[in-house]
Amino acid sequence: MRLSEALEILKQPATENEELPLQLVCGFTPLHLETLVAAHLRVRFPACRALVHHGLFGDLEGNLRRAVKNQAWGALVVIEFGDLDYRLSFRSSAGWSETVLEDICTQVPEKLARLEMSLSALRAAMPVTIVGPTITFPPLSHLPPSQSSSLELRLQLLLAGWLERISSRVDISIVSPAALGERSAPGVRYDAKLDLRAGFPYTLTHADAVASLAVASLFPPEPKRGLITDLDDTFWKGILGEVGIGGVSWNLENHSQEHALYQQFLASLADSGVLLAVASKNDPVLVREALRRSDILLPSDRIFPIEANWGTKSAAVTRILKVWNISADAVVFVDDSPTELAEVADVHQTIGCLHFPTGDPAAVVALLEQMRMRFGRRKVRPEDQLRLDSLRKSAALEEERLREAPADFIRRLQASIIFDLTKSPTDGRALELINKTNQFNLNGRRFSETEWKSYFEDPRTFLLTVSYEDRFGTLGRIAVAAGHLSAGLCHVDVWVMSCRAFSRHIEFQVLRWLYRYTQAKNIHFAFVSTSRNGPLREFFEIFFPMGLENDLTLDVEEFEKHCPPLFQDVSETGDGLVTAERA
Amino acid sequence: MKLTRCFSLAFPALPAESIPTASVQTVPEWDSIAQITLLTLIGEEFGLEVDFEEFGDAASFEALASRLRLRSSVA
Repeated sequence: MRLSEALEILKQPATENEELPLQLVCGFTPLHLETLVAAHLRVRFPACRALVHHGLFGDLEGNLRRAVKNQAWGALVVIEFGDLDYRLSFRSSAGWSETVLEDICTQVPEKLARLEMSLSALRAAMPVTIVGPTITFPPLSHLPPSQSSSLELRLQLLLAGWLERISSRVDISIVSPAALGERSAPGVRYDAKLDLRAGFPYTLTHADAVASLAVASLFPPEPKRGLITDLDDTFWKGILGEVGIGGVSWNLENHSQEHALYQQFLASLADSGVLLAVASKNDPVLVREALRRSDILLPSDRIFPIEANWGTKSAAVTRILKVWNISADAVVFVDDSPTELAEVADVHQTIGCLHFPTGDPAAVVALLEQMRMRFGRRKVRPEDQLRLDSLRKSAALEEERLREAPADFIRRLQASIIFDLTKSPTDGRALELINKTNQFNLNGRRFSETEWKSYFEDPRTFLLTVSYEDRFGTLGRIAVAAGHLSAGLCHVDVWVMSCRAFSRHIEFQVLRWLYRYTQAKNIHFAFVSTSRNGPLREFFEIFFPMGLENDLTLDVEEFEKHCPPLFQDVSETGDGLVTAERA
Repeated sequence: MKLTRCFSLAFPALPAESIPTASVQTVPEWDSIAQITLLTLIGEEFGLEVDFEEFGDAASFEALASRLRLRSSVA
């Protein structure tokens, strides 16, 4: 992005004029970096007007401490060598003697330790991304440039260990140096004139690369949730129906190792909770046998469902989306045939379609990078890894449910529910559920991480996380309710439940438990009808048959009149909840 | 026109009719940082390597226009 493009973007009014405050924490003059960060934020969030706050020149450490006190959606921390020790900056005149270099190696670890403390405090307040160092320091060593100096290697080692610790223990994202290297070659990053005249060290190209990657790292797009793959000349090399089960390959000997890479990639997606399915025009018996080969790198139990038949792929995709109960825009379809890709895209216009470039290993490697961009996620939670199993079990449960009378079916589930009252806004699972769930969702309200933390600063608020398991397996944490108590009333401001938990009467148990625990005679729901919360509306229509309006109040007697028999074992854990009388 | 566009981007609050008479004295936002932004935009718009020292004392629209005319006549 050129500077003029960035300024043009910022000149346009935001579509909803919502403010997006961001801390840009660096030790140099932010200059064009600030403009480019604001522009990339606008592209990422067109409804918002970015307000980029920065600190004082030459004081990264102080700027970090000050940033903690300011409310913001996130912080972008840009570190260069001059911030770790000023003598590593081109603006320094401290000299390059051996004594100076030795002293630098002593001071830098201490500086890193202090920065780590400030970063921990900042992370407790908001999401943080770190960039850098991205530009080199002056040629301090007596060695020729083709050789790494001891100082350079020691600093690299210190930084690598420090960044690894920051990333894993403090939960801060680090912009990938490799990704930055692809967009901004090391030799053309530093603008000596602008650094020495104005304190801004980056060329425009480099500033844009930093801004773009940093914004993507701090506010990554929603990862895709499902991948549907073709088999012949995609999952494996060869046409199964022509060469047989032993004839399809994915190894070095048959020059088909790129298919092994693809299978391993799919296996890693499955481990992170991505749903995988097959849509293949093939004989289903042959497919089942081929997927049972002992050398397969993605076991067939990680794939559900497997659509192997002679119908259209778009019809197969339709059936898969129904089983998964997710929308096409959360899914990617991979096939080696442009015709099949076009046929699917024609019917499912929002699905992501990617061409598998059979016979071109370099293009396959590039494809895997592209796919990682679409599916990459910062954290893999236990619920992510349960997802496929619980879908498979939900399908089995649905079959059984259709055979039995509803009450008998629910009783025989042998279900148990745990209500967790721990008020921990830093646990990302609750926030993730609220921001991802559409169907059983009280009002569609979304929260940023900062807004979520602020909500719980009021001592009258509560957070209820619901975990569930039955004889079909555990679903993990599948529902969240948050609200506040005042004047004898329980107010539910947010209530979501995963669609995997439908048909188990969990929602009735949640309400009964809320009435009993808070001792409130009435519960007020901040209900808003949305285009997608049909299942939630159907639930409320049981109690409000005359119609639903925004903001509903349900008294306990009316609830009990319509509540079916409930058979789950219920237990609770976590901090206590203030009752409505005491609030 | 290109120079006018640069001014419009560097100083979005400046009315279009004020651009031809804009100077460091009449535009409060025109500080050293804005000067660098303006010169960078000029470099992009005109496809020039802008020497900040060469253009650094051009403190008005007219002065920058004159400097650019001189550059293009020399090129």
